Amino acid sequence: MKTKLNMNRRRFLKSVTAAAMIGTAGVLNVPRTAEAGEGKLATLIDLTRCNGCIDRAAPACVSACKKVKAGRLPEPVDPIPIPFPTRKVEDWSKKKEVESRLTPYNLIFVQKAEVDMGGDKKTVFIPRRCMHCDNPACATLCPFAANHKFENGAVVIDPDTCFGGAKCQTLCPWQIPQRQSGIGVYLKVVPTLMGNGIMVKCDLCSDLLKEGKTPACIEACPQKAMSIGPRKEIYAKAEELAKKIGGYLYGKTENGGTGTLYVSSVPFDRLDGVIRKGPGEPGLGAVKRRMAGTDSLGKAVLAAPAIGIAAGVAGAFALVSKRKARMKKEG
Amino acid sequence: MSISINEEKNRVVRHGMLELAEHWALALSGLVLLLSGLFELPMAARYKITAIPGFAWSGDFISSLVIHYVASVVFIVAAFFHLFYHGLLHDEGLLPQKGDLKASVAVIKTFFGKGEEPPFDKYLPEQRLAYLGMAVIIAGIILTGLVKTYKNIYAPDLSHTLILWSTWLHNIFFVLFILAFVGHIGAIILKPNRPMVRGIFTGAVRLDYARHRHPLWLSGSDIQEAYQSPVKAADISALVEAGAVVADHITEGESGESPASPGANADGTVETNKAETKQGPTHELPGEKSTNE
Repeated sequence: MKTKLNMNRRRFLKSVTAAAMIGTAGVLNVPRTAEAGEGKLATLIDLTRCNGCIDRAAPACVSACKKVKAGRLPEPVDPIPIPFPTRKVEDWSKKKEVESRLTPYNLIFVQKAEVDMGGDKKTVFIPRRCMHCDNPACATLCPFAANHKFENGAVVIDPDTCFGGAKCQTLCPWQIPQRQSGIGVYLKVVPTLMGNGIMVKCDLCSDLLKEGKTPACIEACPQKAMSIGPRKEIYAKAEELAKKIGGYLYGKTENGGTGTLYVSSVPFDRLDGVIRKGPGEPGLGAVKRRMAGTDSLGKAVLAAPAIGIAAGVAGAFALVSKRKARMKKEG
Repeated sequence: MSISINEEKNRVVRHGMLELAEHWALALSGLVLLLSGLFELPMAARYKITAIPGFAWSGDFISSLVIHYVASVVFIVAAFFHLFYHGLLHDEGLLPQKGDLKASVAVIKTFFGKGEEPPFDKYLPEQRLAYLGMAVIIAGIILTGLVKTYKNIYAPDLSHTLILWSTWLHNIFFVLFILAFVGHIGAIILKPNRPMVRGIFTGAVRLDYARHRHPLWLSGSDIQEAYQSPVKAADISALVEAGAVVADHITEGESGESPASPGANADGTVETNKAETKQGPTHELPGEKSTNE
């Protein structure tokens, strides 16, 4: 299940044209051709519209995602190698039906928050998946470049090169990526000593985007609570909506900015206070980009060659000058 | 060009202060880079390294990155300084020469009791080859590391192809760097090479060793009778008083940048009389009187 994404400008324009031709552009907020040249996408999740599909067995976005993605994950080997020394195997293959949290087989789920707003009881449903951050440490620090942020903004894990070390999960402020043991390239190396499966998360339906289609969850939403489009447009739309309802934004500044903007009429810290949190159930608190603290040092690294060259040239010239001066003195 | 010798202490200067600083800046920052780079793999928590006192940070990838960046600055500045400083001064003593490969094989055979060592210049042929190998590895590590750093700060959505190449080559050079480090340590553990170890710490090696094993280095060069020891610099005044030092040779200017080796090349190589040296090498045994004394 290779999901490599190579969305260059021309291909993107083609995709957008195709989407327009099937008459879905207006409904699904697929970027218009003129703006698509930028290539960077963002998604908007309007929590004032999401009703959690309470009339259905499962939220439509969850079902649609499972339909598109769940069947793609291969079955793990049996028995799954026991990793040394932790002996921690994460096997969700026998619990594929779980929809109440993120799992390798459930890449989006809907949280429920009941908030008392000064006597006014509000129920808010919050679809949760990868935020597709602007500068995601989960991708930039992947030791095998298996996780990458593409030009269109999608952060995608390549299951063919992922070792399942879960570094991305540790680095993600929401611990979004989920591990399935017993699958992946690590089985061909030293499975008990290195790696432990593959990491799985939402890839913004990169393969569908490549075909000019809309991500499954957005397409399936009966409330049209989710939309995708050019980043600038989506950001403007989200801010306008928040302003209109006197609401709040989440995802604009979190972790240094993301490609997913939530708009809610209830403050997110209130939502964070009441939602269930734990493994596979991310919070909604304020999140700083930890790697920002390393940027100045990184800039020093980039300047280091120039410093070394300057010092080397200056040192060599100083030595040559001294030698000349000495030779002159000695006649 | 000259080599500083202290007969009384049986020492000859092999490396100036600047070369020692370059070597140790690269070596120590390189070791820190190896360790912090290793901890960028998700292994510290898994293998309970975080439980070792003082290693709690090893499980935090951001802390490892900070350490990696700090060490990178030292490593890269030292590497580029080395390249440009010695490049501009045409210090070529460590560059491989024609026939080094064949000579290296012959020398390695002598470690196993086959044949006799030929007379050496300042550096052994395998040292010159190892230098080139290490230079290629370091260049590869630095270039790919710079791409990765640029990506981390400015362009997380840089071409995936470029990132894949940079990441995997960085990893491959990382493994080669470890192997080169192990080889380097392995080489100095070998008995015939052990006398050189002192040189990389103090700048000087035993004179009888140099005369016996590196006659091409000592022959054909200006020899100074004493030197300002980097270890016991104060001794020099006593030597001057005793008349053991030709004071004129201890020039302040160059001894400043290379205190152990006034007048020598920056890497301590002997530039002059090379051809002459190679035509008529002397291969002395310890205790024999050198014609250069």
